[in-house]
Amino acid sequence: MTARTHTSPVAATTGRLLRRLVAYGSLALFGLLVAVPLVYFLVTSFKPMEEYLTYPPRFFPTRWRPENYEAAVTMFPYFRYAGHSLFLGLSNTILTVATSAMAGFAFARINVRARDKLFTIIIAMLIVPGIVVQIPQFIIFARLKLTGTWWPWILWGLAASPFFVFMFRQFFAGFPRELEDAAEIDGCGPFRTFWAVFIPNAKPVIATAFILNFAGVWGDYVNPFLFLKDANTTLAVKLQIGYLSPHGELLTTIVLAGAMLYVLPLVIAFFLGQRHILEGVVTSGLKG
Amino acid sequence: MNGKTLSRRDFLRMSALTAAGTALTACARPTPEATEAPAVEEPATEAPAAEAPAPAEAANVVMMHQRNELSEDEEAQFEADYPGVTIELIEGDDNAFLARIAAGSPVDLRRTQAPAVPQFLNRELTYDLTPYFETSDVLKPDDLAPANAYYMANSPTAIGEGNIYGMCKDWSPDFTLWAFTDAFEEAGVDLPDDTTVLTYAEVADLAEKLTVFEGERIARWGYAYADGWIDRIWMSLLDEVGQSLYAEDYSSIKLTSNDDLKAMAQYFFDLASNNFVANPLNPSTSWIGDDFARGLVGVIQYGYWFGGMAESDVTAGKVVMLPAPTWSGKRLDRTITATGMFMVSKTEVPDAAWQVFEWYNGKEPAEARAASGWGVPALKSMYDLMPNETEFEQQKRRVLQDEIDLETPPMQFNPYIGAEVVAQTWNLYLEQALSGDMTLDELLATVEEEVNVAIQEGLERTE
Amino acid sequence: MANNQQAEGQRGARWRKSARGRKSARARRRTISFYLFIAPWLLGFVLLSVVPLCIGFFTSLTNYDGFDPADSKFVGLDNYTRAFSDDRMFLSLSRTLLWAAINTPLWLVVTFCMALVLNQKGIKGRGFLRTLYYVPSIVPIVGVVWIWKIILDNNFGLLNAIISIFRPGTAIPFMSQYALQSLSVIALWTGLGSGMVIFLAGLQDIPEELIEAAQIDGANALQLFRHVTLPIMTPIIFFQLVLGLISAFQQLVLPMLLAPGQEAGGWNPPRGSYLYMIHAYRQLFIYQRYGYSTALLWLLFIVIMALTLMVFRTARYWVFYEVEIEGGGQP
Repeated sequence: MTARTHTSPVAATTGRLLRRLVAYGSLALFGLLVAVPLVYFLVTSFKPMEEYLTYPPRFFPTRWRPENYEAAVTMFPYFRYAGHSLFLGLSNTILTVATSAMAGFAFARINVRARDKLFTIIIAMLIVPGIVVQIPQFIIFARLKLTGTWWPWILWGLAASPFFVFMFRQFFAGFPRELEDAAEIDGCGPFRTFWAVFIPNAKPVIATAFILNFAGVWGDYVNPFLFLKDANTTLAVKLQIGYLSPHGELLTTIVLAGAMLYVLPLVIAFFLGQRHILEGVVTSGLKG
Repeated sequence: MNGKTLSRRDFLRMSALTAAGTALTACARPTPEATEAPAVEEPATEAPAAEAPAPAEAANVVMMHQRNELSEDEEAQFEADYPGVTIELIEGDDNAFLARIAAGSPVDLRRTQAPAVPQFLNRELTYDLTPYFETSDVLKPDDLAPANAYYMANSPTAIGEGNIYGMCKDWSPDFTLWAFTDAFEEAGVDLPDDTTVLTYAEVADLAEKLTVFEGERIARWGYAYADGWIDRIWMSLLDEVGQSLYAEDYSSIKLTSNDDLKAMAQYFFDLASNNFVANPLNPSTSWIGDDFARGLVGVIQYGYWFGGMAESDVTAGKVVMLPAPTWSGKRLDRTITATGMFMVSKTEVPDAAWQVFEWYNGKEPAEARAASGWGVPALKSMYDLMPNETEFEQQKRRVLQDEIDLETPPMQFNPYIGAEVVAQTWNLYLEQALSGDMTLDELLATVEEEVNVAIQEGLERTE
Repeated sequence: MANNQQAEGQRGARWRKSARGRKSARARRRTISFYLFIAPWLLGFVLLSVVPLCIGFFTSLTNYDGFDPADSKFVGLDNYTRAFSDDRMFLSLSRTLLWAAINTPLWLVVTFCMALVLNQKGIKGRGFLRTLYYVPSIVPIVGVVWIWKIILDNNFGLLNAIISIFRPGTAIPFMSQYALQSLSVIALWTGLGSGMVIFLAGLQDIPEELIEAAQIDGANALQLFRHVTLPIMTPIIFFQLVLGLISAFQQLVLPMLLAPGQEAGGWNPPRGSYLYMIHAYRQLFIYQRYGYSTALLWLLFIVIMALTLMVFRTARYWVFYEVEIEGGGQP
């Protein structure tokens, strides 16, 4: 059913202009609201310790202290721990994305009688609060002599993540039926279909899963705090507890500096990646 | 043990710089019987000297401690001096500690604070170190500062003397006051002399005069105290008048039936409701020590250790230490934290763990801590190492000595509940009381009821 | 939507009738491949989760306190009945319900709108904007809490200071009286990233041909949205709704870290932000009531599960899948 809307060219242009104004205006305003705390964060990381909070508040430091950044990376071997986080993040993420995509595909596209019941387990595991299983899992790993090592992350990766299984399932369920039918006609079994048809068309999902999981492992401090020891723990843990003077005071501005360095790789990776993966579409008259 | 720690240990061995530091593998040393021979050691007041480490079996000692209190350099130094014994540092909380025990891989040494010791003792998690102390040349029982009494006990309800289960790493009389002179000047109040002992009533008066309001906001708090330790403060104040927070056998807490306690609770409640101190309705942004360092507090109650951070760019030269106030006239000033360490009863390497313990509390790390001015050393023989150069350091040292001379005995904490129970319960409901939804009496009644439930549960588990 | 499913059903039925001979072999192959695909997850679940879950459940039936299991005893459902006479539990539950009811829709709507806008090719600098909105979600929670404390502090905060320019001496109690509202803003700020990214990924999957066809037909932006974008996005919206609800109910770290009283360890948030998980955690970490704490967590599980199943049951009315995923996994 098509309805031709007759609008005069002038009205169309002003309408477009207005829409554009509203869009950019709200983006700018919202962007400002989101950005202000971040900018304040960045600026505060350059302040001397006592100035992290003054009254009346001062936006810029009276004395710039790039030494905070130097301290942030020298108070403990910053890059060594970053390396730990990198390894754990990558290994866990690659495994998780692979196994979760497989399971998500099965739950979405392979109709088997037990499927619904098994999927309920997935949802249930999403809902179970982590701490209920954390300590018993710790005990199991400890008896297997795997605590204080990085093996838990490998094993968790292999065991897939209910969150991503669910996510892949939703995405794969939305794929057009025709794709699958065509593959079937070509004689592809489920695995070929998965690999040759679904995966290539799932780049945005895979990239999203990758970055979300990686950011999650990178930022996780609860698990490394329990399962690892100081020698091989992650940067996230060190960020939480490493910027203490020998007498226990928290060195706030150094924490902020450390935190800024800490998000930098993720931000850069995201910025570069999103351009390729999330190309977007033109769905409105805002064609530039 | 996995590959990662092994390689790190090797690396540290090779970079150790002490005189004794040639990399020795565990096998190179003869290993006599299990009991370690006392290490030959020069008097602790000298600069650290290289000593012949006691021969020990190769062992890995797992310590649940904090990296900022045991640096990697210190670890390396130890491992170089004690070939064969390695330290594995794990950060962790009570949860992690208990989980490891349940999992069959307990840690060997654990950092703790005095209020938690009775409960650990009660649940048989502590190792009796008395034999080690009696044969040690470094840690001699007579040399132990009074605060170590928190780690000595004949039973969980008789803390103070008896078997030795641990030691503190340093301590401070925790009831001293620190004054910010600018606050006094601005308020036009005379600064008390550092030999005058104030009463808590006078402190409340100062709190009122020193608080600065700007419209609805608080520009400076007149007074500050550690609200997370309020039960310990009450216990010490009650001790002045010969009373206790708990029943004789520690089976219940007495709040509503104790008039003295009610007066003390009222005291702190009034300070909070008048906004002379940080409170749940007007909290500190980070913590009160930090606020003081930024000039936002007039008088703060913290121990000698606070002197290490009291002077910042804002407060330099404007901080004066004052003696502990008194509630009833009787002078008591004890430590209520006594951060230290105990050996876990389930350890499989007690001798090696003792070596770490002895070294940490009696050798180079202890000396470094003493010289830093962040606490009173746990060994009386190290008292002279405390800094005494600048005017501020001398002033602190003077007031401190008076407090130490009071020789206040330790307090008994309740062995049936965790160290935080009382203070956390009070602080949670305090917000309601301050907002007017609960009277102080109701607040006390609620706290009493909930704490008694917790004590009952603790009793049930140990009968 | 219904048409498609009907066609699907008919097609499936025809196929089934005509291929009965091949069916069992086909079905068997399907079953095998299904289990192969989910094998890693299933194995992991059995080996790593089942035993901990059982232990976790069993613990809730005891008065275990974390120390020696030998000291604890079996108490049956006492921990569960105790929860029903626990005033603080009901307070925390009602706060959490309120919290979820406000925050989940808010987060959904905001992130969806942002994704829509930032998906437009015509927006300049959208790569920068997307990254900007993403950053708060990866800032370590420690940093997040610090910055917002600096901004919202009652007496020394940035926001109050700015307001004080116009109305001197302002000290709006964001951290105490308005704790829940402040928490809302902070949670939204940190939650923008993941929400937006998932919606953006979903928007990529809308076939360009469909959009072009609709535009040729003269559909304006609003019609395009209602008839093309929205239906195709429903599986993702469904996902976000479920996840949003679950994480709202499990909110713990933010209110905990924002709570005042450093020495007290941050376990005493003001009543406004006294959420259920905080109550459960307090039982464990302060009062050492391992058993009771676990029971409270299982009760939460039941509540969330019930809600989630309700949402799943509504799925058939508004979620549009390409395949027969009838009921969407509801048991």
